[in-house]
Amino acid sequence: MNSINDRSINIGEYIPAPDDDMLICRCEEITKGEIRRAVHDGMFTLTEIRRYLRTGMGLCQGQTCSKLVKSIVARELQVSPDKLEPATSRAPMRPIEMCILANERKEEA
Amino acid sequence: MKHSADVIIVGGGIIGCAAAYYLAKRGVSVLVLEGSSYIGNGGSSRNGGGVRQSGRDPRELPLAMYGIQKLWSTLSEELEVDCEYHQDGNLRLGKTPEHLEILSGLADRARACGLDVKMISGDEVRTINPYLSREVIGASWCPTDGHANPLTTTLGYYKQARKMGVCFLTEQKVTKLKKIKGKLRQVITSTDVFEADTVIVAAGLDSRPILATVNIDIPMQSVMLEGLVTEAQAPMFNQMLGTAEADFYGHQTKHGSFVFGGTLGLEGFTKDNGTPISNSLAASSTCRGIIKYFPALKHAKIVRTWAGWMDLCADKVPVISPVEEVPGLIVACGFSGHGFGIAPAVGYNLAQLVTEGRTDVDLHELQYNRFHAKS
Amino acid sequence: MKRYDLIVVGAGPAGLSAAIEAAKLKMNVIVFDENEKPGGQLFKQIHKFFGSKEHKAKIRGFKIGQDLLKEAEELGVTVCLNAVVSGMYMDKELTVKINNQIHHVKGDSIIIATGAAENMVTFEGWTLPGVIGAGAAQTMMNLHGIRPGQKVFMLGTGNVGLVVSYQLLQAGCEVVALADAAPRIGGYGVHASKVARCGVPFYTSHTIVKAEGDTQVTGVTIAEIDNKFQFIPGTEKHFDADTICIAVGLSPMSQLLKMAGCQMEDNPKRGGQVPIVDACGQTSIEGIFAAGDVEGIEEASSAMIGGRICGIAAAHFLGYMDDAAFEQQYEIHQQALSGLRQGMFAPENRGKILTKTEENIDISANLLEKGYLDDSEIEKYPGVTHTIGVHPVIECSQNIPCNPCQNACPKHCIKIGEKITSLPAVDETAQCIGCGMCVASCSGQAIFLVDEACDETYASVMLPYEFLPLPKAGDTGIALGRDGSPCCEAEVISVKSSPAFDHTHLLTMKVPKQYAMKARFFRKEA
Repeated sequence: MNSINDRSINIGEYIPAPDDDMLICRCEEITKGEIRRAVHDGMFTLTEIRRYLRTGMGLCQGQTCSKLVKSIVARELQVSPDKLEPATSRAPMRPIEMCILANERKEEA
Repeated sequence: MKHSADVIIVGGGIIGCAAAYYLAKRGVSVLVLEGSSYIGNGGSSRNGGGVRQSGRDPRELPLAMYGIQKLWSTLSEELEVDCEYHQDGNLRLGKTPEHLEILSGLADRARACGLDVKMISGDEVRTINPYLSREVIGASWCPTDGHANPLTTTLGYYKQARKMGVCFLTEQKVTKLKKIKGKLRQVITSTDVFEADTVIVAAGLDSRPILATVNIDIPMQSVMLEGLVTEAQAPMFNQMLGTAEADFYGHQTKHGSFVFGGTLGLEGFTKDNGTPISNSLAASSTCRGIIKYFPALKHAKIVRTWAGWMDLCADKVPVISPVEEVPGLIVACGFSGHGFGIAPAVGYNLAQLVTEGRTDVDLHELQYNRFHAKS
Repeated sequence: MKRYDLIVVGAGPAGLSAAIEAAKLKMNVIVFDENEKPGGQLFKQIHKFFGSKEHKAKIRGFKIGQDLLKEAEELGVTVCLNAVVSGMYMDKELTVKINNQIHHVKGDSIIIATGAAENMVTFEGWTLPGVIGAGAAQTMMNLHGIRPGQKVFMLGTGNVGLVVSYQLLQAGCEVVALADAAPRIGGYGVHASKVARCGVPFYTSHTIVKAEGDTQVTGVTIAEIDNKFQFIPGTEKHFDADTICIAVGLSPMSQLLKMAGCQMEDNPKRGGQVPIVDACGQTSIEGIFAAGDVEGIEEASSAMIGGRICGIAAAHFLGYMDDAAFEQQYEIHQQALSGLRQGMFAPENRGKILTKTEENIDISANLLEKGYLDDSEIEKYPGVTHTIGVHPVIECSQNIPCNPCQNACPKHCIKIGEKITSLPAVDETAQCIGCGMCVASCSGQAIFLVDEACDETYASVMLPYEFLPLPKAGDTGIALGRDGSPCCEAEVISVKSSPAFDHTHLLTMKVPKQYAMKARFFRKEA
């Protein structure tokens, strides 16, 4: 079993760090400290971090921060980053206006 | 790793997390087994966030009212996480006389249960929410309804339960429940055997095959629902919105995005690849629906779409009940796409059921045996 | 619904190559690209490519892009631009945003060639205006003709960091320094040397402490790090800068594949989240392929071959190519690909510390740490001789798959041999005529023609020169050494330009004899 599946494993106390106020997710303005604290709140996966804090939920959908978040979470959990599965990819790949999404090209009969 | 507890909860969704929290608060030792890799991975993270009483079936309405009167208003404080709960009313919109007929029928039945809900005119609707188009000719209005953030609420229950010592294990897919000497005792996964005095099965659709191992069946159907979210917009309104036909619902969140759900007409018939992948037509269809109600949002950009399966129970209300034939087993599933708003009340009453053998809310209409042969 | 034999997503080197192969076999192909121009990153690549002739070596990237586009056009490939593929759904269905409409299309096969996105690193001030990706800087310069800044600091010494630094210099920016957290320069030594001889310092085992400035970047502080990536106090260095370029690697843009349900893996060697593919680039979903950076970060040269393999595999899958023809074509492409994937920078050597070349010569530590070969080290390499009269001096010290110099010399003075990664050697029995073809042909700008004693006191050095304004014969200035420091006064004897040199000008300067083997760049007196 993957060690992070047991949400009661001891990952130690959250210790504040001098760079905790550094922005990591620019779109949603989430800091490193918030991410680190979320791990200590039990958010051991990138999907949970994302749902709990909104990292990667903004306009760029995690294009910039997902690797950064991953390394912070991995370090906090003391596991290798490749143990952490990235969050799901979802359409649309780029933000699209509602009126455009609503305007589907008619199929020729 | 812990292998036994007073109570094992199968399913780490909001029902399981809330029950775990309220049980832990009562000093009960709890173990939660989640089949997927994530806490709150099913409908708990994929719903529209409605915390409403209006539009509900009278059989589950008492749970909704109980939660709103007793639990939701202090939940953020209690869970030490922002659940983003807003109690600013629910407009259930109608565009045709048929819609208004459906709505007033629902409103009448809810009023009979003591809920403050009334029918209002199109102009009254636009006084409450000036962004709604003139196509809306009336609505039911329930001022005590609202909405919350399903993600932080679910994970908030998880966080707090975990802090109180509840043990959560992910990727523990339950393959079998086992009775020992006539009483449910073991919960078996592909890798481990766990033991408890009481087992609560709250695993959504997966409850069905799990319950089958002790010869219990809850008639449920898998129906895929779709949601989408816009980029952040300036604050516009705080009400929860729905429609008579339940084809569209949504609200504006604290950070500004609008979260909407919609129906395509193919629900229950869509195809998937083992994950709830969106249907290619859904987002467009939902957007067309939204723009009709909210022309002002037509230039808002959609940043994400998603889908999720609901566990649609045969009679569209959940099963929340102990199982006589399997002493020690409690079932909580079949929430039929509207479980989020009542989840705190369900969790609280489940904890009462385990520790006191009684509940504040009368749950007899939600018993498992309502599908049995009628005498 | 509109149905194609093949839909390619991404009109970069991999996607266009795939489309070309499929179109050759009369498949009905469409290529979607979200940009307003096709070519992906190729049109930003103004440097000459490495490899052999089949890899389009010594041709500049943008020219390769033009050729690919022309080939695609001639074969009737439809390239649909400003077309955002927004999702990949069940049954190989794509939704595509074109203008103000959503189109639903299906492909009997789909090749995803969406490329990669730049990685970021965080440091105090990383969100200040002026901190940009190196790729962004390249786009500004090479596509839009805009200088990204006046004084630029570059973080990252992989090929992207090195190439973009050189291009920044060409664009007239001052590159204040390059730094890399790794103890060694990551990219080709020859790329580093081009930058170093212009006087730009390299700081390995260093990274950014902070970007300075309140509302925009005004400077940067870097410091040395220990082997645990912790700053060593007291090693801080400050540079004035208005721009900080980040070149710390790329991540595959594999979201469409993941969305469609292709099996993915996290593979740091391939740059992150990549699909699990077979030898033809086919993913776990039959008929869906991945080519280029989206399938693993590599050079454009390999992306083009990978694309061609996907193209023929899609054709084979749909019965447009029989087994025998496919096998034969596949072999050819596979060999070309393995030709590129050898040498010191081969994928299997990533992360390894090599100390010897294939010829068993010590690899220059100086080159890896500071970006240039030390004057004392240069004699070790087979391209360096002291033949009387004008002769090539080839300062090529790493085994990379590249051989245009061998074919460039009409007199066959340069020998690489069968193995494309071998270091070029000078055949002292052959007579150099001083034509400079080898100097212009070297994508790494590592070949010089030197006459160590053109008269009693002076030597002449011919060097590749790609800066404007071009010096003229008679101009005087300073000759710079490999490390970019001034060595001596120099006078330009000639500047030769020719279409055959493809914009690499051959500048010959006169320096005192003792600097023949030291002077490697010319700076005009202000």
